[in-house]
Amino acid sequence: MTNHWIDIRNSDCIMIIGSNAAENHPISFKWVAEAMERGAKLIHVDPRFSRTSAKAHIYAPLRSGADIAFIGGMINYVLTDMDKHPENYTMEYLRQYTNAAFIVNSDYGFNDGIFGEIQDGRYSEAARNSWKYADMNTPATDPALKDPRCVFQLLKKHYARYDADTVCRITGTPSEVYSEVMRTFCETGRRGKAGTIMYAMGATQHTYGTQNIRSYAILQLLLGNIGVAGGGINALRGTSNVQGSTDMALLSHILPGYLSVPNDQDGNLEGYLKRVRPAAISPRNLAGDKSLNWWGNYKKYMVSLLKAWYGEAATADNDFCFSLLPKADPKVNYTHIGMFEAMGEGRIKGLWCWGQNPAVGGPNATGEREALGNLDWLVSADIWLNETAEFWKRPGVKPADIDTEVFILPAAASYEKEGSITNSGRWVQWRYRAAEPPGKAMADLELMDLIVVKLKELYAKEETPQSEGIRKLSWDYGDRITADAVAREINGYSGATGKLIGGFGALSDDGSTSSGNWIYCNMYTEAEGNKAKRRGTVDGHPAKIGLYSDWAWCWPMNRRILYNRASVDLDGRPWDDEHPVILRYEPEMKWQGDVPDGGAAPVNKAPRGNRQLPFIMEPEGVARIWGFGRAEGPLPEAYEPWESPLKKNLMSGTMYNPCAFVGAYRNERGTPDKYPCIGTTYRCTEHWQTGIMTRNLPWLVEMMPDMYIELGEDLAKARGLKNGDRVTVSTARGEISAVALVTKRFKPLLVDGTAVHHIGVLIHWGYSGKSTGDSGNVLTAHVGDANTTIPEFKTFLCDVRRA
Amino acid sequence: MSKGVLFDATKCIGCRACQVACKSWNENRSEDTANRGTAENPPHLSADTWTKMRFTEIEGKDGFQWVFTKLQCMHCEHPACATACIVGAFEKTKEGAVVYDAKKCIGCRYCMVACPFGVPAFEWDRPIPYIRKCTFCFDRLKGGMAPSCATACPSGALSFGDRAELLAEAKRRIETAPARYVPHVYGEKEAGGTCWLYISSVPFESVGFPKLGPERMSVFSDPLMHAVPPVAVVVAGLMTGIYWFSKRREKIAAHEDISEEKE
Repeated sequence: MTNHWIDIRNSDCIMIIGSNAAENHPISFKWVAEAMERGAKLIHVDPRFSRTSAKAHIYAPLRSGADIAFIGGMINYVLTDMDKHPENYTMEYLRQYTNAAFIVNSDYGFNDGIFGEIQDGRYSEAARNSWKYADMNTPATDPALKDPRCVFQLLKKHYARYDADTVCRITGTPSEVYSEVMRTFCETGRRGKAGTIMYAMGATQHTYGTQNIRSYAILQLLLGNIGVAGGGINALRGTSNVQGSTDMALLSHILPGYLSVPNDQDGNLEGYLKRVRPAAISPRNLAGDKSLNWWGNYKKYMVSLLKAWYGEAATADNDFCFSLLPKADPKVNYTHIGMFEAMGEGRIKGLWCWGQNPAVGGPNATGEREALGNLDWLVSADIWLNETAEFWKRPGVKPADIDTEVFILPAAASYEKEGSITNSGRWVQWRYRAAEPPGKAMADLELMDLIVVKLKELYAKEETPQSEGIRKLSWDYGDRITADAVAREINGYSGATGKLIGGFGALSDDGSTSSGNWIYCNMYTEAEGNKAKRRGTVDGHPAKIGLYSDWAWCWPMNRRILYNRASVDLDGRPWDDEHPVILRYEPEMKWQGDVPDGGAAPVNKAPRGNRQLPFIMEPEGVARIWGFGRAEGPLPEAYEPWESPLKKNLMSGTMYNPCAFVGAYRNERGTPDKYPCIGTTYRCTEHWQTGIMTRNLPWLVEMMPDMYIELGEDLAKARGLKNGDRVTVSTARGEISAVALVTKRFKPLLVDGTAVHHIGVLIHWGYSGKSTGDSGNVLTAHVGDANTTIPEFKTFLCDVRRA
Repeated sequence: MSKGVLFDATKCIGCRACQVACKSWNENRSEDTANRGTAENPPHLSADTWTKMRFTEIEGKDGFQWVFTKLQCMHCEHPACATACIVGAFEKTKEGAVVYDAKKCIGCRYCMVACPFGVPAFEWDRPIPYIRKCTFCFDRLKGGMAPSCATACPSGALSFGDRAELLAEAKRRIETAPARYVPHVYGEKEAGGTCWLYISSVPFESVGFPKLGPERMSVFSDPLMHAVPPVAVVVAGLMTGIYWFSKRREKIAAHEDISEEKE
């Protein structure tokens, strides 16, 4: 989240898209309800009328996968309206705080859905260069936004094609509802108004998921909604510590603190830094003239991380042990899908599943279950015996045919261990142990400690280079590892004094400091102790905007609303007097309110040469409407899902995302003649993810006892189905049995003149535990987003019949 | 001062945290259920399920609405169950809760017949069955705490407080946002008034609430029960005898009833 949960209450208009917040994030509705009490409008955009829609002022149905068309049309609406009524928009924000005014390379071209030359599913170097600014050091800008090569004009040209009629033909949204959505949300472009977007996996789990989110960013920047209270782009994370696990590098492309994973071309630390550390870009002709380029500090954070990991062994002479980090091959996909493709081909021999249940949660579950059988060994650390641990005795297989050796590590549940969780709003909150774990179950940290200690013992006498990383690893937790010791190490120490570092501003690149995760530096200080334990319930913010800065701690530096320097105008006056985030800048007092993004004076009050631009994490100091770093182009363009009911993309001659990742292992593709309905997967309130925690709890099982699917009355009638019938849902990958819930809440959508039906598939069931049933992911495909490879769980072709 | 709970259906998100919180606090058993083509389960209030959510899909001239309502004992100001009870097992407390003493219950089930909301439920599957129902978490109430369900509600749909204040709050909400609510506080007058109050965007009949007048339901049972105490004693003895005699037969019949509902 750019903002945080409580801040939702400050919004004037909340658009929930790609999320069923009421059912999957019920607590968020405490704040949505408060905003609505204040008069805020709630818009829900989703293929299905859910409990979230039931609370919304406007429910806009949308064909699954048509998000970019939907948002593209809104962008077009704003750009057209802005010409006629610039007084209704915060133009100063757009001109001065975004790259709308930047002049783009004259080679840039867009033709029929494509942004240049493509080779083997990737844009060529030349194409990627054509997306950049004409000058990448000191780019020219036109704050009047008139230059035909400025971002604003290119944006206008690009989205002029997204007229409301074409959009509604693609999305299936009734045009009068769509007009109401555009009008209502875009009213938040006014100075002092704020609109927020709440999204979840419905937005991201597409072959163009990243560009879906980019489209939200563009819309929100056009409306001046980033950095302000009640605004932002707010990802509702799917499980309680997803934010924390991302921060700590659960993903395959990053190290803790969003540092890039080194690759095998980097050579050494300098080579790595050359690739990943951006140079400052200094735009010309803007009111701000200084880009802080925070990532210029890359080396400090990387060296401090290496010092935290390798301790005394890391010295300037040996590149701080950079050579000991595993190096990625840029051509290999290390994500979940990539890993299971490799397993399917027999190239991965061992798998460690830690609180992870891919046999139910992974796409194309039948294929992934089979791939597990190619492993020599599998470790499952979980609080229950899950489907992955029991894959060798799943229905339809003979255990004797499977050679994989499976180890089970009983893990402690969240209330049986101590540590921190980081919520969607980036708050790091300490949790205490409430009960002892049962039997031999242990906290994950203790399990990990036993393993590392044993590994170090096994390799202690080995001199091989490949064992060096384990031998030199600093692991000095003594007899009993504690979450407290790890939290201190994550914050970081000064090498000279051994004292905790006060904040990442004090980290250095010479090896004199350590920090396990630079963005968490300041969480644990000598003066204040472990700030994740703070429980201050007074909102100390001068305007009482619900910041509660003394409750727990928030990265970075306890800044509760990211990009908050964009919440004030060039003179330092908040856009919104009622809900200021930072305010009253005085040379001696600095800013009041939230911890500012860079503490410099307002642009117009600073001396020339030091007028800091607000978006300090971007090398150009402004937010990117034009985003040239993504795989498939600088602007989101509407494509069809990998499996689409349409014969052609109504927006261009390019049907699919040309850069999407398509798996090869047991990945059949369905066609609309055989599978005419759109399948989409989701969760219910009563069960959790792969269900292994909730399908074993009788009070939850009684509420949602069986695997079910949802479909509309028209489709049920066409297939001769009644409510409560047992049905079979099929795709090219497989079929499942479920109870049919026939409902008025799924209506056919008129897409390009044809009625299209959705079938909603729950993801929670499997063959282990108290309540069992078929897994929704038997139906989904091994295809993923072009940038992240997140699977396209949300859209596939299927059909339904009576079982 | 009588306590109460205000349920605002426009704020309820149907998450059913209240349903689990009730079972958790009261340590009630889970039921063996099946998906019958609805997101609702268990199917009814029962001896093990003292509160449940009802989901109603309404397609009307104002468009489609999905309305969530919570069912549990209404804790009547003048409880018919209490006056119908021949052994005085029920008690209307000064806090508003209608509680009962399971030790006194003889299993006659008069209360089930008397209740206009169909709340008290019988432990059909226990060897010595009692009537059971929502107690307003009377144990919590006495300790100054809100009922478990109201504590768990994340969206502000359930407010706990003094009944008189909640009634005023309900009217204030309706007055402030007349487009959002029908002008009716259910429970203000129904059956002589109840501690649980409801406001909603749709008429209460459309979500299955019984249409009741302001008369106390107890007026129908009061004179009979109070006028002829010796008769009551005889009836009580007789009923107890019949009850023990026919327990097994009833139990079987009851099981058939429930399984029919589940089909």
